Amino acid sequence: MTWLHTWFGLVLGYVLMVAFFFGSLSVFDREIDRWAIPETRFAPQVMPSFDKVLTPIFEKMAPEEEELAAARQRVGGPLPDVMPLMTWSAYTTHRDPVLDMYAEYAITNNPKDPFDHVHGHVTIDPRNGKLLPHDQLKIGSEFFYPLHFSLHLEWMNIGYWIVGFAALVMLAALVSGIVMHRKIFREMFTFRPKKQLRRSVLDLHNLTGVVALPFHFFFALSGLTIFASIYLPLSETMMRPLAERHAIEEAEKSGLAFAPSGVTAPLASVDAMVIEAKRRWADRGMAGEVGFLMVSHVGDANSFVSIYRAGSDRVSRVGQGVHFSGVTGKVIREEPAPSAVSSVNDFLTGLHLQHFKHWLLRWFYVLGGLMGAVCIATGFIFFVEKRKQRHGVEGAKQARWADAMAVTTVTGMLIATASILVANRVLPAELAHKGEWEKAVFWLSWLAALGHAAWRGGAVAQGRISPAWREQCWTVAILASAAVVLNWVTTGDHLLKTISTGFWPVAGFDLALLGAAGLAAFAARALRRRERAAMPSQPAFKILAESPNA
Amino acid sequence: MHETVTTAAALLSSLFGMAWLALAMRVHWAQVRDAEPLTASAALTLRIMGGLALALSWVLCLQASHATMAALVWIMSLAGAALAVAQILAWRPRLLAPAIVWLRPTAPAQKQ
Repeated sequence: MTWLHTWFGLVLGYVLMVAFFFGSLSVFDREIDRWAIPETRFAPQVMPSFDKVLTPIFEKMAPEEEELAAARQRVGGPLPDVMPLMTWSAYTTHRDPVLDMYAEYAITNNPKDPFDHVHGHVTIDPRNGKLLPHDQLKIGSEFFYPLHFSLHLEWMNIGYWIVGFAALVMLAALVSGIVMHRKIFREMFTFRPKKQLRRSVLDLHNLTGVVALPFHFFFALSGLTIFASIYLPLSETMMRPLAERHAIEEAEKSGLAFAPSGVTAPLASVDAMVIEAKRRWADRGMAGEVGFLMVSHVGDANSFVSIYRAGSDRVSRVGQGVHFSGVTGKVIREEPAPSAVSSVNDFLTGLHLQHFKHWLLRWFYVLGGLMGAVCIATGFIFFVEKRKQRHGVEGAKQARWADAMAVTTVTGMLIATASILVANRVLPAELAHKGEWEKAVFWLSWLAALGHAAWRGGAVAQGRISPAWREQCWTVAILASAAVVLNWVTTGDHLLKTISTGFWPVAGFDLALLGAAGLAAFAARALRRRERAAMPSQPAFKILAESPNA
Repeated sequence: MHETVTTAAALLSSLFGMAWLALAMRVHWAQVRDAEPLTASAALTLRIMGGLALALSWVLCLQASHATMAALVWIMSLAGAALAVAQILAWRPRLLAPAIVWLRPTAPAQKQ
């Protein structure tokens, strides 16, 4: 059991660290987006008028170029001239000033997949319907957030599989950790920072693992259930005929057409449907705003409009769907209360995706995620400390590499994160493919951190602390402070202004950056003290290492 | 406003609950009250008080938000409180002294 915990923990710990840390940042992904795209620094907006604002934009939308290229490969040749419109949808939350709009277009010449389709996507300013430039990367929701579950390894969805496997192993690591630890309750509040390093690191490992155990457990579990359809794609593979039959029968039962009729028909007023849906929610004692709106079979006589309530006061994301005929505007179906099974699924998904309005709970999630990160980081340090003292010369190499990887995954990851933010403020907004440049800075700075950690790791082989930890801590402190200063210089939004006007998305992120810089500087100084204190023991170690019996 | 006050009370209740549960253990008790022994009755009282405070925290969470949200807030408040108590015990254990000011020092051990 110890073997499993140690080795799986080490190897997949690198992945879990990314999942935990960027997951923690994703709690505030929309706020990071505001920080990264200054033109979107305005108050959250409700879903604008569909008829007046959204329809003209939907009509001008087109499939994404990259998606078309991928579809050409799937089909193995050119695509048809006309790609019939399948759906239009718009999505917003209580934290979104901007609105995301999506369209789906059918690919009719793929014999292998009759439901093949491509997407179009735009982001608009809902106050005036203006499109936001496509080149600007939403660093929070489009980069940190997907990094947390896919590692941005898109080939064959391999990233999802790696993270999913890591989550599965994490569940095993939690159970094995509890078995190994034994004194869960007796040592629940035990942290002895003044004892020797190995002791205090293990204390912190146990503490952060145990007190946040429910958080760790439910996040690993719900993370797996969210992507269950990727991990167990039954309805796409073995049971596809059954799944299709089920969808058709469901459609017949609910009155929501499964396929278009082929007869064109105009769309009735969606704004009127929104008013009706809101009235029905209010009647159920849960008045609310629209979170998700979707038109299926656009422009067809079978079209229908589905309107879902934003779940800002519930854990479940969206719900209470009301479906209207797209042609007559009459209600076809109001969704009944969900079954027990789907309630549990909605709860688990909602718990993880957190679209609710509860700032304290959001911060608690950050705390839980960072405790997970601390748990993994202390696990790394314990692994290294144990080996570097016990094995002397032979184990030193193993410890050296594990330590270099730990430095890269802990402080290196912070350097990469701060670097992309600095790049975001330094690179001009009008630079073509600005987002791609920012991503390049992120990956290259992380790679540089790896190189630095490997280069400075010699100290570990001699039983000392690698100076890379301290040097990278200083780098984090400098870069994070620089990001705050650059935000001020390039946008004029300094902390006094954002705090006094109560613009918390930017003020909060600036404060978090300063907090991180302060902590990194504190850690760097503490490391310096430890390094100095460890100096006198060096000759003793050398004697030990050089003696033939060591 | 009502929600903020109730949630704050729930957090405080979790914190006290965890502090009492910790101080019901001999090691942590000694960090706050030095040589003074922890009597069995004091330990039991602290454990019961701790449990009650955590239960009260749950009731307060339910008052503040929808049951599904309350469950998450409560569980995370327990995690946050346990971490806070552990950190206080590690760095400034005496800060917890007011939490047990109502438990009178027991004389017997010192006399012996």
